[in-house]
This record gives sequence, structure tokens and C-alpha cells, in this order.
Amino acid sequence: MKNEITLQTRREFLRATVLGSALSWTVPAFLADTFMALHGEAAGSATQIVTGKDGTILVVLQMAGGNDGLNTVIPYSNDYYHNARPKIGLTEDKILKLNGEIGFHGAMTGFKTLYDSGNLAVVQGVGYPNPNRSHFRSTEIWQTASDSDKVEKYGWLGRYFDNACAGADPTVGVVLGRQLPESFFAKTPKGICFDNPQNYRFLSPEHPKPGQTDMTEAAYEKLNETEMVSSDDNSGASIGSLPAGMPMQGGKAVDFIERTAMDAQISSDEVRGIAARVQNQATYPNSAFANSLKLVAKLIGGGLPTRIYYVSQGGYDTHTNQIATQQRLLGDLGDSLKAFVDDLKAQGNLQRVLVMTFSEFGRRVNENANGGTDHGAAAPMFIVGNKVKAGLLGRYPSLAPQDLFQGDIKYNVDFRSVYAGVLEKWLKTKSAPILGKQFEPLPVV
Amino acid sequence: MLKPLAKDGWNYETAAHLLNRAGFGGPPEEITRLTDLGHDAALALLLDYEKIPDPTPNPAWAVPDLGRADRVRAMQSLTPDARRLAQQAEQRAQAQQIVELRGWWLNRMAKGPRPFQEKMVLFWHGHFATSYEKVRDAYYMWRQNELFRRLATDYWLRLLTEAGKDPAMLIWLDQAQSRKEHPNENYAREVMELFSLGEGHYTEKDVTEGARALTGWSLDRQVEQFVYRPLIHDDGDKTFLGLTGNLNGEEMMAQIVKQPQASVFITGKLWNYFAGQMPSPELNKALDDAFVANARCFKPFLRVMFRSEEFYGDTVIRNQVKSPVQWLVGTARMLQCDLPPAFISSALTRSLGQDLFAPPNVKGWDGGITWITTNTLLDRYNDAATLVQGTTQQLSASDFALKPGGPGGVVQQKAAQLVHIGGVEVDKILTPEERADKGQLVAALQHRLLQSTFSNEQNKALRDFLDSRPKLADADIRNVIRLVMSTPEYQVT
Repeated sequence: MKNEITLQTRREFLRATVLGSALSWTVPAFLADTFMALHGEAAGSATQIVTGKDGTILVVLQMAGGNDGLNTVIPYSNDYYHNARPKIGLTEDKILKLNGEIGFHGAMTGFKTLYDSGNLAVVQGVGYPNPNRSHFRSTEIWQTASDSDKVEKYGWLGRYFDNACAGADPTVGVVLGRQLPESFFAKTPKGICFDNPQNYRFLSPEHPKPGQTDMTEAAYEKLNETEMVSSDDNSGASIGSLPAGMPMQGGKAVDFIERTAMDAQISSDEVRGIAARVQNQATYPNSAFANSLKLVAKLIGGGLPTRIYYVSQGGYDTHTNQIATQQRLLGDLGDSLKAFVDDLKAQGNLQRVLVMTFSEFGRRVNENANGGTDHGAAAPMFIVGNKVKAGLLGRYPSLAPQDLFQGDIKYNVDFRSVYAGVLEKWLKTKSAPILGKQFEPLPVV
Repeated sequence: MLKPLAKDGWNYETAAHLLNRAGFGGPPEEITRLTDLGHDAALALLLDYEKIPDPTPNPAWAVPDLGRADRVRAMQSLTPDARRLAQQAEQRAQAQQIVELRGWWLNRMAKGPRPFQEKMVLFWHGHFATSYEKVRDAYYMWRQNELFRRLATDYWLRLLTEAGKDPAMLIWLDQAQSRKEHPNENYAREVMELFSLGEGHYTEKDVTEGARALTGWSLDRQVEQFVYRPLIHDDGDKTFLGLTGNLNGEEMMAQIVKQPQASVFITGKLWNYFAGQMPSPELNKALDDAFVANARCFKPFLRVMFRSEEFYGDTVIRNQVKSPVQWLVGTARMLQCDLPPAFISSALTRSLGQDLFAPPNVKGWDGGITWITTNTLLDRYNDAATLVQGTTQQLSASDFALKPGGPGGVVQQKAAQLVHIGGVEVDKILTPEERADKGQLVAALQHRLLQSTFSNEQNKALRDFLDSRPKLADADIRNVIRLVMSTPEYQVT
């Protein structure tokens, strides 16, 4: 114990790591590494150290609502497809062909560019056994990586934080949005969440002169300071044994809020600083979703020690009027991602970043009577980055009626194999403790 | 069996707890009044709200718009440009009305004479979560809100049936578009999964058969109300949850409510809403028994629940994260101040994660600790300043989509009116003695705002702040109130 750094409060510890990450973009890398390694030793070997400069980063992109995979990666030469979709089926002239059989939706020019330049992988026919057609349940299954008949308490990203990021800065996970997704639920919840960096702070009515203390802010900080309770019999806790936060179930609500208050205090300065300082170096579309990616690019450029960013784009629940809706959403998605990749390339950070999309389910093969499609099963996932194993992964699922299950496409890649691939090959951590069992890691990079 | 709370268990703390949960809290005088009444009379005052007149007038536009269907149809024959303009005008009018409706309801919660009824309306809104984002009609949203108010504590079967025939719901879950040739499964699925039974208590076959039974339930857009259309009803035999016959929607709902799980489900959810966590299986069984014993009627069931010792347990009291609406309305009630104008109040709860009439999805708000993120917590702390200080506090333009430095004169005056927030009247909530003594001041504010006490360190932080002020102006006291609200402790109730 004598070599460990003993700290009185969680806040001091967090300030120390913030300082560490702040150092990493102003001093030579080896100095930053040394500083971080000191923390790493104390935190135990399983913990992943990120300096904000060299760690790999995963951007998880949720296409909420259940994207119709069949009208996204389109089997345009398949008669079953056109028979099932007399009204909303897309014909050859509206498709960006990838080969003689399939092509992207015509709005996905951004995707096509990324695909042609070797920065995009399409994982075909992804799903899971006994698919569920409820948005909430199926989203929950994807967020917790559970079997479809089991309910898990924690999310797969939360379990990644629990297993591999103990003692990390709260900004190890960043959600662009107002609510934490279920995938972030953890034994020790981690991650911060905001949508507008300008308002991400405690506002004081005072305007103290230099050298004067802002008493309102000082009081706020003290009111929200939590004394750290030792997690074992040692006096004072060490970096390696930070007390567990409130589990998501049970425990006192106020304890959880205290933790969150601390994380908010620590991360607010960092995020606002970066958002103001770093400039985007690509032109993005004008949309809420594009704004999220713009901010992620800034935070990556600013060296926030984050492993996981989470962004989402909603609106894919196309029971009615699917043609116009998907045209708009997929166009925005492709153009925004293309700009994001250009931005990261200009920063010199593209090789550190991998984007993975998911949606809770695909949709029925047969169109419905309202110019839309109802909830279905398997669908493609997309993986973007310059280290990605570009091209088509897996094989296109059969649409022959005898190969469908209750009118739905059968999966041939379990989504947890994709997660396992991302965890093992990209985030370089063992996937079995996180996913509950060993899935064959899909070679995504 | 639920045990009734012992007579000596009724005191200021338990009375405050009841008022916080069955209503939205209140100032110390109100809690004292409930304490003095005794448990049963306090419950009667809250629960038997029919005896108290509620004179709240309906919004002026809350009548069927009989010309709307024709207007919308007429738009189809316009040129594309003219159609776009007409649609925009229609949307703007609707958007204005939905903001008014949010303000109207929030005010009813904050100032109205029947807080428990409004707390139930809020429960049903989160339960039968329907969003204006799809319905796009403020009148329909108001109608649904009134339905929840009218049947707030009625029988389970009546409420479940009426909720399915409600125009906003018919649009929201696509039932209005369902016909026998293509039954739409959306309502059949959600009514079981989210409204009455829960995942795993029905089969996919029940969904498709239920969808057939529901055909015929539709919406007459001309008169803006429910209509049963026999021509689109599927008259064939269906087997739904074990019952076979030419079932219709009413018979389907009756079959659902007959399932034992339908009582377990709704009582568990009500306990979670009022007590702050899901009940243990044993407790849920006891709640279920009480509900069934009271003919599956909510009012007598809830009286038993609020009477029970379990409801006043250590893990229940002061262990619920305030929802944004509870936070806002409770603050106005405890500090005896007005809510900000409708569009600020509605923007405020939206930014904190609870946009009334626009829940995130048909599951409603997750609630509990998911209300709290680093983002929404800082927002609560800053919104506290806005509410308490009034418009002297700098507001962020993005909060209400008004750009500063825009056209001057009338527009700015109008904007100033729209953003006028009175703030807290310090002398209304503090006696001269409390103002004069810093120790008493801090104690009085904790008593009013937390019904609990801070740690020594936190008290010291407040004292240090007070000591840094040469004399305590109203603005300083408001600042202390804001600081008390800028704590983890204030976010729970």
C-alpha cells in the first residue's frame, strides 16, 4: 500500500486525472505516458489507460426506431424483394450499386464514398436468436447484449467500463444527448452526458475580480462535495480501490446524485474548453445529428480521454410513408459520417476512431398497406474507420419464403460477435467477461 | 396483507411524505394542517377530490374543430407552394396551442385545488404515453388529458377501454388505420406489453388475434371523435388469451383485465410511481390482493396503499428522484411562487427530460435515477436560479428560441413579457426573526425545502456564504435558496 497515492476525496483524484489528461496535449507524449502509467499501476493491470492522444476510440451510433435494412442495403436484382415490396421497393436506377446484386439506398452517397475509399464495412444480416419485435425489448437486448429471454441489469458498455476502466476519468464515456442509454448502465456508473457544451456548467450570478473568490460558486462546490468513504479497512482510499458508486438498482438515490454532481463539476470545464478551442475541419450537413458528430470530432481533437462516444439519430420507425422518411434520414446519416471522417482525417485522428452503427431491428420483408413496413428482425450494421476491414462482411440473408421466419429475415451474424470483434480487436480487451460468454469475434479491423 | 400505519406513525414527516408523493408537496403550513387532521382525514382531503370544486377553465380552443378535416383536404388541391404555406400556418397554430396546454396543465398542478387528481393524470399520461409529435393536434391531446382526469381513480377496465378509444391514442398507435384486410398490430401489441400485462404474458398469436378483434375501432376525423365501423371489423372467430369467439375490442379489453397479471402489473407500476421503486414480489402480491378486493377500482386501492405502513418505510421516504415536473411544480408550491409563463415552464421541463405531451416513446419516461445525468443535474441547478431570482438572472436565449439583439420595440417588449418570471418573495416565506438570524434562516430553508437536514459540512458552506455578505439583501437570500436547491439532497423527495 505504501507506494499507492492516498487521496482524501474522490474529487482530488478526479482533478489529478483531469490534470493528467490536460498535460497530454501540451507536453511530449512520453511525459504524459509516465504520468498516466503511475495512475495505471495503482489502478491495477486490467485498467486501460487513455491519454487522450493515443488510445483507440469507439463511436456507437444508434439508428433508433428500427431501420429497414432491406431498403438500406438493397438486393436490387432479387425478385423476392420486388414481389414483397411492390410500392416501396427501390428499382435499379435509385440505387448506388456495390456489385451485381446489392447496392446502397440512393441517398447514401456519403456511404458510397466511404465504401469506395475502403473506410466502410457492411456487416450483413445481423441479429440474434428468437428475435423480439418490441422496440423497447429489442433495444434493451442490443444495449445489454443479453439473450432474448434474459433481462440483464447492466449495459454492455457499462460492463466494459466496470471491467476495463476502473478509476478512469468520468469522461471515459460521453453521451451526446440528455439521457444515458441503457448500454451505459453499470455497477459503477460512468460517463457524462450533455447536448450543449455552452450550458454545461454551474452559472453564478457573481462577477468576481481577479484574485477574488466567487462565493456562490465556492458554496456550490462545497455543497456538492462528497467525502470519500474508504472501501476497505485502510484509512483513506487509494486510486486502485475507488468506492463503488450506487448500483443502478437499490441503494440510496441521493448517493447516485452525489456521484453525478461530482462528475458534472469535473467534466464541465474540460468539455467547454475544448468545444470553444477546437475547430471543425470539414463541412457538415445542417442537422441535429450532424451537430452531435461535429461535437464528437471536437472532443476527439481536443484530447478528451474518452474511449466510448455515444450518438443517436432517431426516426426510423417507418410504419407509414417510408420512402420520404428514409430518404431524409439515410442522406443525413451518410453525409454527416462522411464529414466526420474528413474532419478526423484532417486532425490526424482517423486511425484512432471506429464508428459502429446499430438499430434495434430491421423490418418485415413485406411492405404494409400504409406505404411503410412493420417491425422485423435481422438487418445490416455499418462500421466506419480507416483501419476497418472494408467491404461486405457476412453474407446477404436469403429472402426466399422458405428461408424466412414468420415473414422476417433470419440473422446469420449474432450482433454479439460484432461487439466481441470490436472489444477484442479494437478496444483490445477480453470480451467474455463483458458479454457473459465467448462469442466468435468478427474480424472488424 | 398491507399493514396500516400505526397511529403514532403519523407526524409532520409522514404527512410531508404523503403530500410530496400523493401531490406535489407544499409549504410548512399545509403540512402542519395535514398533520393535525390525522391520517384518515388527511387522506380524505387529498383523495376525495370530487368534493372540492375545481374552477379551472378549459383552454379557449379546446372544442372540436369541425372544419379541420375539410381544411386539410382542401390543402391537397392547392399548388405545392400554397399548400406548404397553409400547412405551416396550421402547424404554427397547433404548436402554439400545445405550449399553452403544457402551461395550463402545469399551472393546474401547481395552483389547482386537487393535487392528487393531477398527480394521477400525470401517472396515466406516462403510462398511456402518447405524443403530440405524432398526433399533431393539441385538441386531441387535451381531450386525452381530460379523459385521464375524469377516470383518474376509476375502474381499471373502464379506463383501459376508454384509453383505447381515445382519438389521440387511435392516431398514436395506428389503430385508426387498421382494417380487417390489413389489421395493424401496433395497438394490440402495446396494450398488452406496456399498458396492461408486460412482456412474456402473451404470445405473438395473441397479438395478431387481438389486432383482428380491434378492427372497427376507428376515428371519425370529421367530428373528431371515436367511431365504431362495422364494415372494417373482422367478424371471424379469434382466440385471444384463451377466449374464442367473434371478439370485439371491448371483449378483448375485458379478457385482458381478467388476467391476474393485469392487476399485478398495474399495482406494481403505481407503487413504483408513488413509492419510488418496484415492489418486491411479496409486496406486489399484497398490493394486487388489495386491488382485487376493491373490485379493481383505483381510488379505494390507493387509499389502502397510502394508509399502509410499507408506504412510509425507511427505504421509501426521501428516496425518490424528483421528476422534472415534480421538481418544478413542487418548487413553486414549496416557495409559494408562480410558475414562469407557459413557454418557459414547458421548455424547462423539456430540457430536464420531461416534455409533457411528448414522452420519448410509448413506454413513457423511465424515471428514477435516469432523470439525473451530469447534464440535467447542472440544468436543475441553473434553472433553480432562474425560478428563484426571477428575470434578473441572465437567461440563455436558446432556452426559449428567442435571439437577443433582434428587432427592437414592440417585439422586445413582448419578449420581455413572455419571459417575465417573478422570482421568490423572500418576506412571504421567512419571518423577520428568521431573516435576522443566520442559523434560523438556514434551518427554516431546510425545513421548507427538504423537510430534512443537511450535513454539518453543507451547513457550514451555507454559513460561509452568508458570512461573506455584509448585510443580507433579498438577492442574497434568493441566492441561498438557489444554493439549497443546488444540492443532491434537493433532487430527491
